[in-house]
Parts: sequence; C-alpha cells; structure tokens
Amino acid sequence: MSAGKRFLRFISSMRFAIILLVILAIMCSIGSLVTQNQSYSWYAARYSERTAALIIALHLDDAFHSWYFILITAFLCINLLFCNIIRLPGLVKRTRNGGTLRERLGIWGAWITHVGVLLLILGFGLGQFTHKEYVAYGVPGQTMAIGDTGLILTINDFRIDLRDDDTVEQYTSEITVYDIASGSSGKSASVSVNHPADIYGLRFYQNSTGWAARVTVDKGGEALQDTIVCAGDYLVVTDKPDLVIYFNAFYPDYVLVSGYGPATASGKLNNPGYLYSVYYQGQILGMNVLFSGEVLTIDDYSVHFSEPQSYTLIQIKKDSFTALAFTGGIIILIGLIVSLYVRPRKVTDKQTGGEDASS
Amino acid sequence: MLQVENTLFTIVMISYFVAMIAYFIYVASKKDIVSKVAFGIQVFGFVLHTVAIVCRGIGAGRLPLTNQYEFATSFAWGLCLLSLVFIIRFRFYVMGAFISPVVFLMIGYAAMQSREVRELMPALRSNWLGFHVSTAIIAYGAFGVSFVVGIIFLLRDRLKAHGFLDQHIPDKEKLDLIEYRSVAPGILFLTFTIITGAIWAERAWGSYWSWDPKETWSLVTWIIYATYLHLRIRRGYKGKSAAVFAVIGFICVLFTYVGVNTLLPGVHSYK
Repeated sequence: MSAGKRFLRFISSMRFAIILLVILAIMCSIGSLVTQNQSYSWYAARYSERTAALIIALHLDDAFHSWYFILITAFLCINLLFCNIIRLPGLVKRTRNGGTLRERLGIWGAWITHVGVLLLILGFGLGQFTHKEYVAYGVPGQTMAIGDTGLILTINDFRIDLRDDDTVEQYTSEITVYDIASGSSGKSASVSVNHPADIYGLRFYQNSTGWAARVTVDKGGEALQDTIVCAGDYLVVTDKPDLVIYFNAFYPDYVLVSGYGPATASGKLNNPGYLYSVYYQGQILGMNVLFSGEVLTIDDYSVHFSEPQSYTLIQIKKDSFTALAFTGGIIILIGLIVSLYVRPRKVTDKQTGGEDASS
Repeated sequence: MLQVENTLFTIVMISYFVAMIAYFIYVASKKDIVSKVAFGIQVFGFVLHTVAIVCRGIGAGRLPLTNQYEFATSFAWGLCLLSLVFIIRFRFYVMGAFISPVVFLMIGYAAMQSREVRELMPALRSNWLGFHVSTAIIAYGAFGVSFVVGIIFLLRDRLKAHGFLDQHIPDKEKLDLIEYRSVAPGILFLTFTIITGAIWAERAWGSYWSWDPKETWSLVTWIIYATYLHLRIRRGYKGKSAAVFAVIGFICVLFTYVGVNTLLPGVHSYK
C-alpha cells in the first residue's frame, strides 16, 4: 500500500477519530478550568506570574479560539468527511442488496450522525467568523445608529414588570428600527427576555438593564449641556474636551457600608446617590457621591445629576449560519436514533474485523 | 402543597435508605426473597418521589426543575426510574445493591440544598426549560445505570470468589450489553439536552454556544460517550475499555452537575 493510501486510511480511521475526541475532551476540560479572555495581570493576580505567563503562552486565555483547538477540530472534520466518503459506496451497495427496511435504514445511522456533526461544526465555525454583533442602549425616546448597518433604532418604551415581592418578572423594550436608505416608516417590535425580534435581517435581544440619569452642565450660570448618561459612560464637557465627567455608578437607596463602600439598601429611589469621577487631561481629579439637588462645581462649571431612570440594553446580532448549526444538531439526533435503535443486530468494523452485538 | 412535598421527601429518603439496606441484606443473606422486598421498597419510594415532585410543581406553580434542590431530587428520581427499568428488563436485582447507594447519595445531596421556592428570573421563564432539564434527568439517570454496570463489569472477576454474586451477576458479555443499552438512551437524551439548551440560550442570551463551563462540560461528557460508542465497535476495546469510559463519563456527568455549579461560575450558576 502506498504512503498516500496509508495516510488516507489513517486520517479516515476510527482510531484517529478516537484520538481526536480524547484530545478535544482534554482541551475542553482545561479551557473550562481557566477563566477565559482575561489579561496577563488578571491571571498573575489570581495565580502567579509564572502561571500567568504559561496561560498566555499556551493560549489558554482564549483556549477555544486557539490555533491548536481549531486545528484539532479541523482534523476531526477531515476525519469525518473522509470516513463518510469512503464508507458511502459500501453503504449504498449494502442498501441496494436488499433486506428489510430496518436493515437498509439502520446501517446509515453513524453516517447520518457524522454528517450532522460536520454541519454543526461548519455552521458554528462559519458563524464565528462571519457573525455581526452590535449593542444599543438608552432610555425611552433616544435614537441611535446600529453600527455600520445603515439602520437606526429608537427606544419607544422600556418596562420592568415586577411581582408583588419586587422580583423581576420580565424586561420589555418597545423599539422601532428605521432603514435610512429606503426611508421607510420603520418597523416596530416588542423585545423581551426569551422573546427576541427579527427586523431587517437582524435579531434583537433584550440583554440587560442599568441606571441612567440626566446630567446638566452649566457654565457661568448658562446651560451648556443637558443629556442622558448611562452609568458606566463618560460625559465630555463640550467647550473644554480635557474635562470629563465619568458616571461610575448609581445607588437608588444609597448607604455607605463600613469596610465595603457605597451600596444600595433597596431598588427603590429612597436616597438616590450618583457616584462620579472627574478627569482632567486624563488624570483623575477626584471621585465622590452627589445626591439629588446637590451641585458639583469645577471652576466655572456646575454639574448636576437628576431624573434617575432605567436604561435598556439591546443586543443585535446577525448570524446567517445559526440555522445550519441547528440543522446539524437535528441531523445528529436523527442519526443517533437510527444508529442506536434501528441499527442491525451485528455491525462489523471492517478495518479491525471487530464485531458488535450491540443492538 | 409544599408542606406535603416536604413530608413526602423525608419518607422518600427513608425509603431509599431502607431499600439500600435491604439490597445489602439480599447480597449478604443470599436469599432471593429479600431482593423482591428491596425492589418493592424501591418502587414504593419511587412512587412517593413522583408524587412529591408533582406536589412541588403544584406548590411552586411551575415546573420544579429550576434550582439545585429541584434538579438534585429530579436527578435521583431519574436514576431510580432508569435503575428500576433495567432491573426489571434484565432481572438484575444485584444491581440494586450497587445503584441504591448512588440514588441515596443523590437524594441526600438534594436534602442539603435550600428548598425555598423562589420566583424565576426572566431568563428561566421559557418553555425550553422543561425540555432541556427533563431530557437531562433521563440522560443522567441512564448514565448513572451505565456507571454502576461499568463498575460491576470491572469488578466482575473479583466477585467470582463470591459464589452467590457470581451466579446472580450476568457474564461480561451480557454486562457489556446492559451497559451499552443504558448509554444509548443516555447519549440520545444528552444530545436532546444540549440542543434544546442551545436553542434556549440563543433566545435568552443571544448566543447558542458561549463556552460556558456547563456547556463545555456537557460537551466533554458527550465526547466521552461518543468515544465509548466508537470503542465498542473496535476489536480489543469492547468490554473493559468501554466500561472504563462509562465510569469516566458518569464522573464527568457529576462534575457537570455538582462541580461546575459550585466551582466554575457561568450563566448556569444562578445565584
């Protein structure tokens, strides 16, 4: 047998498949034990500098996108593909040779399962490389562009449905999406957790929520800026770009916990406290908490926080290959049912001559 | 209704414990009649367990499959159900002596969890939850049976000295078949679990696969059992190697359930 044939036989063999599966299982286990997508300093603080260096060097910080993980998965695909191609003529021949429907169908189980796994990996892989993801957040009445899609999103309403015990039952955003190019009147939809909406080929998910507040900046007694800022966002003073106000966090029922810091006693607006930081030319000048009615004065500028309200965060996604991955999943299920329950009583592994009296 | 469930749960725990002791007595006394008693107690416990879970569902006003306690008690229920099916199907009463401690440990783990009924967070309010978790219960139960049969397979030669066990435990070929018969529904239902979970995750979190530790470990488990199925059709690997994989597979199941929930934070760690 030529070296090429021997190689082909090996890469399509069950032995190679088992080796790859075991390696993949080990890689997945290790990847799950290391917190993913953190910085070197984060790993160094958690473990040690030596371990952190090892994690980064071995790409364990992003194990599931590392070159070797992709390589092993690619080898598995090649193995499945060649295995299926090589087995196909034999299966067709055995099917044509007759027998009961159960016998003719049953021998296809593993082949169908392999096709399903291939489609699933293909759909997932292609989706990883081609999917588009955007985030839009704001309070009702705000409008924002959705990345480079040419679409504009308006948040019409945002509701947080509470139960009697104040636990959250549902978050719902009412949105309208406009296509700038077509100049259409827009398409409206209701988006809530577990109930995404499909508009203009994009899928809109209710992702999360947080606090926002109206921030006004006066200069010499005259209104300079009046805008809604979400906690975690910056406000650049328009006529002095070196001066930046950072809205760190909001505490609806502010309390100062000894040994911990600012916290909220409840979700109710009993004692609203706005934690902010002031930066000038990139250097932090200070950090403090402002309460309702209080004014922060920086030279000629007066900053005032008010009207705390919930903002909604909408995740927007386009993944054209999700359907392919799910189709792969369904095919795997069909293949397993055929393989495990329709399969003939004796199956022989032709490469090894092994015999299975499994079903 | 929740008070009824509480009382029933206690009776179920006692029943499973008594069934376990009865199975041990059966092996020690070598009297077949004791196996019937042990089996009867196990069936009694299982029926009450079913009623308890139904009561929990009625009391909570939802499917009782959403927190650590509810899943642990359902896991024990699934394990008990599948063990009863296999004991009856293969008239393999000695298996009861091996699987009843696993059932008891699982119900014991459930007893250690908080039984408080909490309202569901929005992400958990999905019809997919029922499909996702109920298929996991059947899969885990089936894998539990394969684990026990795998252990018995690996101990089979050592048990030869014990004449009674040697007579009442099937030969290795039959054990291998029973093990396979339990892995088969296990991997099928685990595949259902993973796919329904992916569909649910896509709707709730906008991503059907995020390499969350729970997802990753369910994949590891799937790979282990896929390897098991491949090993069984290779000459020389059927039997012992397959049994080892059945044991490793269930250890992965336990880690996916208990280890990941407690050690590895992710979207499945609803705190």
